[in-house]
Amino acid sequence: MTSQQLNIRVQTATTEVLGPRQREILFKIFAYALLITFALAILLPFFWMLSTAFKEERGLFVLPPQWIPNPVTFANFEKVLTPTPQANIPRAFVNSLFVALTTTLGEVFISTLAGFAFARIRFPGRQQFFGLLLVTMMIPGVVTLVPSFILFKELGWLRTLAPLIVPVLFGTAFAVFLSRQYFATLPQELEEAGKIDGANMFQIYLLIFLPLAKPIIATLFVLGFIARWNDYLGPLIYLSGGKPDTFTVPLALASLQGAYTLEWTTLMAGATLALLPIVILFFVFQRYFIESIAITGIKG
Amino acid sequence: MDATTHLPRGRSTLGRGEALWGYLFIAAPLLGFLIFSAFPLLVSLFLSFTSYDLATAPRWIGTENWSRMLSVTMARVPPMTDEATGETLFRCGRETVTESRIGEFAGQTDLRGNPITCAPRLMALSDVLPSGYETVYNLSLFGNDYVLAARDPIFWISLFNTAFMLIAIPISMALALLIALALNQKIQGARFFRTLFYLPTILPIAALALVWLWILNPDYGLLNFFLKAIGLSELGSTNWLQNAYTVKPALIIMAVWRGFGYQMVIFLAGLQGVNRTLYEAAEIDGAGTWAKFRYVTWPALTPTTFFLFITSLIGALQIFQEPQIMTQGQPYFSSTMTVMVIWQNAFRDLQMGYAATQAWLLGGITMVLTVINFVLSRRWVFYD
Repeated sequence: MTSQQLNIRVQTATTEVLGPRQREILFKIFAYALLITFALAILLPFFWMLSTAFKEERGLFVLPPQWIPNPVTFANFEKVLTPTPQANIPRAFVNSLFVALTTTLGEVFISTLAGFAFARIRFPGRQQFFGLLLVTMMIPGVVTLVPSFILFKELGWLRTLAPLIVPVLFGTAFAVFLSRQYFATLPQELEEAGKIDGANMFQIYLLIFLPLAKPIIATLFVLGFIARWNDYLGPLIYLSGGKPDTFTVPLALASLQGAYTLEWTTLMAGATLALLPIVILFFVFQRYFIESIAITGIKG
Repeated sequence: MDATTHLPRGRSTLGRGEALWGYLFIAAPLLGFLIFSAFPLLVSLFLSFTSYDLATAPRWIGTENWSRMLSVTMARVPPMTDEATGETLFRCGRETVTESRIGEFAGQTDLRGNPITCAPRLMALSDVLPSGYETVYNLSLFGNDYVLAARDPIFWISLFNTAFMLIAIPISMALALLIALALNQKIQGARFFRTLFYLPTILPIAALALVWLWILNPDYGLLNFFLKAIGLSELGSTNWLQNAYTVKPALIIMAVWRGFGYQMVIFLAGLQGVNRTLYEAAEIDGAGTWAKFRYVTWPALTPTTFFLFITSLIGALQIFQEPQIMTQGQPYFSSTMTVMVIWQNAFRDLQMGYAATQAWLLGGITMVLTVINFVLSRRWVFYD
């Protein structure tokens, strides 16, 4: 089709000579063009990162850029995984996994327990306590930064992982809120059955409600894990100045930047490794991600 | 608490036992709230009235921190005048002359061959500003020169920079809406696109910051390569992160790239909630595509748009990681953000009291926005 012909088609379409069916097709073409353009814009940086990570350093400073590494090398990954005085990436992975898993599991257990209580148990002051927790969600982290630091310093917890773990083990207001909303939707007969069987409230929670709460548990797990894995400010404040063996992944990455300035091949290998767990988690739990956005975004 | 496990029992005992379980279950989050939120909130407020360096006990200094933070002034910088004649002094090249002698320099050139220009010789800032104030910004208005000054200029510059970054919000929301509308057209592979656009929003910023450092590299970075490839060779030679004029736009591009996917997913959910029959009714009335968007889709999306705007605002005010890793606030503080200033005051300069004051200001703004969002979302969001 020549450009003139195309021009005529577009003109006829805009002057609505074409029926709605054709206009719909035109819109679809536009939509696909837009989506593909932005898909490329999102993908290119990642492709660029991977391509750099598998390159030899001399393949770096050539123009036009070498898109497919030639030769492909794994040396950058070996290098970035080798501990140095500034950064210990393998150890950082262990630390980050430890922090993310312990905090998230603790958070989910404690928060669903409280959410269950707020949704299914009657006790005086229930509304007021719940309101108090909602207030917590409105306190911006930046305000509590300095006092928390002083608190953990007094406890002697600086340069350990404890300040990153312990506060979350008390549950988070957000998770309590979400699980309360979820438990409130379940039918009334559930605890009646448990009570008739002589179960106490903890048993009712553990044996009846928790198994029904899989979607919300998965959602909270995913959200919590990501928040803890990606956290930078916390580790920066509590771990900076300590031994690199105590660093989490984001902090180790940042110090990598100082150790390998301008060594983009090494830095991109590090970035690739840091993204990997979240990407894997994302594809395994994809359904819950989209659900979590729907819950937190629209209803929260 | 074992009592509740025994059967049979009366209704009142059951109720009381249950209540105890309730208190037990909510004890940890409530305790956590007291230790890690309520108590620090108050301590932070107390510290804002003290000077505290961690080594010695906090010293009460009243409202000094608040006054230091909030003191701003604007002054006109008048030209200097000749003491004898009262004539305005000008600076022409390297000479200071009275107004009447400006004509002598017409047509003259300096040693390099450039024409000599004359400008009023301004009074020194130290003579114009109260002591303790330093320049935040110089500006010229209607032929007069003014200086905006503050006791803590870096803090005000950081507020300006943070506010500047808010430009990313309308850009990324418009983009998110456009893409959500496109995805809402029964597109093949809609799930793939949705997944892909959402992915960057959950990845660790520390890693993405490194990737973008490399993309924005002036000589071998991807961005400049593309700009040169499409013929923008001058723009394609920009050293994005080391130029005071381009560092914030570069950070905005990155913020949009990273963040629009979240807004898109929320918009998509909003679009799916629009009542189908409204479109049918509009079609019967002869509404075209634009009219349907303008009178059906857009009004229906108002709550979504508002929610996204406020939450994005709250998020954008806390920006820290990207500039901290990518620029450390440079050049010339042009990418220094407020949270970075707070962090530096607290953990680098050990001015805990002053940092707490700044945190309270930023936190206060954030809290107001959060409350607005909470109150309004209760009004128009349905919990089902």
